[in-house]
Amino acid sequence: MALATDDQILARYRDAEAPLLPLLHAFHERDHCLTSSALRAVATALRIPLADLWGTVSFYHHFAREGETRSAPRICTGPICSLRGAHERVAAMAGEGATAMPCSGRCDQPIPALVGDRSMTFAGSRLVPAPRSPLPAPNPGGLEECVFAGIRAPDRGTMAGYLASGGGRGLERARGLEPAALLDELEAAGLAGRGGAGFPTARKWRAVREAAGEAKVVVCNADEGEPGCFKDRALMDHDPLALIEGMAIAALATGATLGFIYLRYEYPETLDVLDRALTEARAAGMIGGAFEIHLRRGAGAYICGEETSLLNSLEGKHPFPRNRPPFPVTHGYRDRPTAVNNVETLCSVAPILARGAAWYRGLGLGGQAGTKVISLSGDVLRPGNYEVPLGFPLARLIHDWAGGLPAGRTLQAVTMAGLSGGFLGAEDVAEVTLDEPSIRARGSFLGAGGIMVFDSSRDMVAVAREAMAFFAHESCGKCFPCRIGSQRLTERLGFESGPTDQVEWRREIDEIARTMKATSACGLGIAAPLVAESLIRLFPGAVTEKFQEREAR
Amino acid sequence: MSTTEGPTIELDGEVVAYEPGETLYQIATRARREVPTLCYDPRLEAFGGCRLCVVEVEGIRNPVASCTTQATPGMKVRSSTPALEGHRRTILELVASENRQIEVDPLSGHSSGEFAALARRYELRPGRFAGRKSGASRHDDDNPFILRDYDQCISCYRCVRVCAEREGDYAISVVNRGFATQISTEFGGLLKDSACTFCGQCVQTCPTGALADRKALRAVDLPEPIAKTRSVCTYCGVGCSVDIVTKGERVVGVQPAMDGPANLGALCIKGQFAFDFVQHDDRLKTPLVRRDGELVPASWDEALDRAAAGFRAVVDQHGPEALYAIASGRAPHEASYALQKLMRAGWGLNHIDNCSRA
Ligand SMILES: Cc1cc2nc3c(=O)[nH]c(=O)nc-3n(C[C@H](O)[C@H](O)[C@H](O)COP(=O)(O)O)c2cc1C
Ligand code: SF4
Ligand code: SF4
Ligand code: SF4
Ligand code: FES
Repeated sequence: MALATDDQILARYRDAEAPLLPLLHAFHERDHCLTSSALRAVATALRIPLADLWGTVSFYHHFAREGETRSAPRICTGPICSLRGAHERVAAMAGEGATAMPCSGRCDQPIPALVGDRSMTFAGSRLVPAPRSPLPAPNPGGLEECVFAGIRAPDRGTMAGYLASGGGRGLERARGLEPAALLDELEAAGLAGRGGAGFPTARKWRAVREAAGEAKVVVCNADEGEPGCFKDRALMDHDPLALIEGMAIAALATGATLGFIYLRYEYPETLDVLDRALTEARAAGMIGGAFEIHLRRGAGAYICGEETSLLNSLEGKHPFPRNRPPFPVTHGYRDRPTAVNNVETLCSVAPILARGAAWYRGLGLGGQAGTKVISLSGDVLRPGNYEVPLGFPLARLIHDWAGGLPAGRTLQAVTMAGLSGGFLGAEDVAEVTLDEPSIRARGSFLGAGGIMVFDSSRDMVAVAREAMAFFAHESCGKCFPCRIGSQRLTERLGFESGPTDQVEWRREIDEIARTMKATSACGLGIAAPLVAESLIRLFPGAVTEKFQEREAR
Repeated sequence: MSTTEGPTIELDGEVVAYEPGETLYQIATRARREVPTLCYDPRLEAFGGCRLCVVEVEGIRNPVASCTTQATPGMKVRSSTPALEGHRRTILELVASENRQIEVDPLSGHSSGEFAALARRYELRPGRFAGRKSGASRHDDDNPFILRDYDQCISCYRCVRVCAEREGDYAISVVNRGFATQISTEFGGLLKDSACTFCGQCVQTCPTGALADRKALRAVDLPEPIAKTRSVCTYCGVGCSVDIVTKGERVVGVQPAMDGPANLGALCIKGQFAFDFVQHDDRLKTPLVRRDGELVPASWDEALDRAAAGFRAVVDQHGPEALYAIASGRAPHEASYALQKLMRAGWGLNHIDNCSRA
């Protein structure tokens, strides 16, 4: 097949909603990089100043520039893959142009890589196509689930299989309800955001509904960039129609006519799954007409999961987070009232409508409403996604459900909220329940629900340094405390620079951490210092050892 | 509070009135609080990057950036507390740690001393937070006007924003992200190959001297103190206000007046950089008249007599309608004024123009 010409590519997207990313991806695919002539063509077509476009393209990790190629292997060096020798893999494949990429959301599987648009994995030292993402194991506690309840049904990803296994009933009920009643039902269910911030979903949607302006927007945040999180991937790979049904209900509740799914770059197979599901959903009348959904692919930037940065990315702007207020509920995509919601949040909506608020609320334990999917990885026998009732003891999840640690190993620490919540130590893990009040009481938070387990053989100082290096790498560079602070914390945790005296070293870290938490412009910079703080709090001995090693050198 | 009055906030315990739409920073500055900033330029849309302007607002857990936060009635705001001052100092020490030096020559540009002034005010501890440097100077960009010494850059993006928002040129942008961020033209090239018009606005808003006035810096070693004289650019009819920068008798640079009513800190390449002629060696120091086709030095009286005779001859032969005068854009305003006076009042003509179309 002949390659598309510039004009064909431009014609396809020039007048589309959110045209920049699909245009860039189309050129990137055709030319295996973004050539300067492609950038000039895009800049002219979309009337973006060339310097701006150049800056914006450079923001994303995965766009190969002229002279590079997107088919050079990118190997995941996320926290868990690092423990499994990912850095050594990158070095070994340097001859093939291999580079590192941040956690790519397969922490429950062998080290993943991307080559062009294929997810790969290692067979010996060779890269081979990776298997599909695993289906979540049946609930080990035999507990009732919400978002995973139908996911294991045969052909769940097709409309026929979806409807046969109970899909579609939520939307059917929602269509018979007044928006106000719909919102009341969600409110009664107590559903809160599952993307990290835990904002009550009904309240967000009501704000969009009540905001001035007709053309409202629903955005599904499928960026899942948080290291140690791979739950949204499982949901989309195996139950894409539940997400689409949830978005259709969101459109009814908010009055939206336009929808987007913003999917992270690192999930190319999921892109195809969603594309097919959207086609089927259109054919079945689930969407289309009054509410259309566009699929957009990110290009490698953790910050684009932050909702205002995501909106800038959709709009083709430099993806810095926006200043708030105004919030997206009044000024979102192109200043239109916009509900940005996480995949898991949206997947919960149809079951709640189908089975009722009381049912959902009752799934939680100890006064908590509903369930949460936890992505569990690291030093456990059965890593994977588990849907737990909120309020469920973490120790039971790790030791009973996931089979505990490999024989002879003991638990040293876990991360929370993927990486953003920093570490909890063994004592906390024994006591904590999986809900915000319990985890926040220990100085961390549940967030998006990624939990990585580290046994006592792990060098926690090194883990913390890698974690901080991730935040430094992903800091957008908008605000001073995060841009410089995350870099300085990385250097200090790696002992590259900074005081040689431990007391002074800690004082510097304390000061940077305090200021980052108080003054950073978005959640990345506010959360990043938790890794350093919790390391020092939980593992002072390990830190002292590093200083002694350093002195001995 | 009576209902006929406008809204108020409580600022450091004092009730302060404000206009709806005003930010906390604007209100605090008006109330003479010295809230530090580095990414702020009152002419630009507030960006919220440096976070130095953070203030405490009752009921909000974290401090908020005052430059991007609009006041709401009854807000209780603290503009300076030990915690805030601590954060400000930490941020400034972080910024200091990424740069080669803090103090720069004031010839660098209008705002080039902002960071150094804050460094002094907050008594930064040298060596604090030492680590890798962030900037990458463009030594290869040898344009005669703008020094791109990004080793000194603190990523406030004022240059990028002024170029876009005020000049409309969009010549430069932010590339990469985080600590790797750099200021760049498209494809990382030289300014002369970009959309840059060398207006110098980026230089004049830069708070560190990372972008610096290369022409002014030629005078860095002159011993005399810097003086500034407010004037109006001669080059065209816009009437941009400028501060002529001198050292002793020497004009060493031009800086735009940020409060110039016509330009608010803007200039074009000519107003900004084209001043060398003033004290150029080729410049005439005495009148010249032509004798036998040769230009030779003459006294003022002789030269003026010759000019008057020339005018007289034309008027006698063709009438005054045959006269036309055009003033040089390099002439001082006073000279241009005198010339039009001569034409209008002297000859009764409106045949007068100026060469400048900047
Ligand atoms: C640095 C950063 C990264 C984020 N990444 C994601 C993400 O990948 N997916 C997501 O759903 N939310 C992410 N969030 C949270 C979003 O800003 C937003 O709160 C969320 O999408 C709202 O959806 P919810 O209410 O359904 O949780 C991120 C936030 C920050 C500060
Ligand atoms: S906290 Fe970090 S990621 Fe967020 S705006 Fe500031 S620099 Fe960007
Ligand atoms: S000199 Fe003017 S046009 Fe050139 S980069 Fe600076 S602000 Fe933009
Ligand atoms: S060059 Fe100057 S104005 Fe531009 S970002 Fe750097 S410090 Fe700010
Ligand atoms: S002046 Fe407000 S953040 Fe810089």
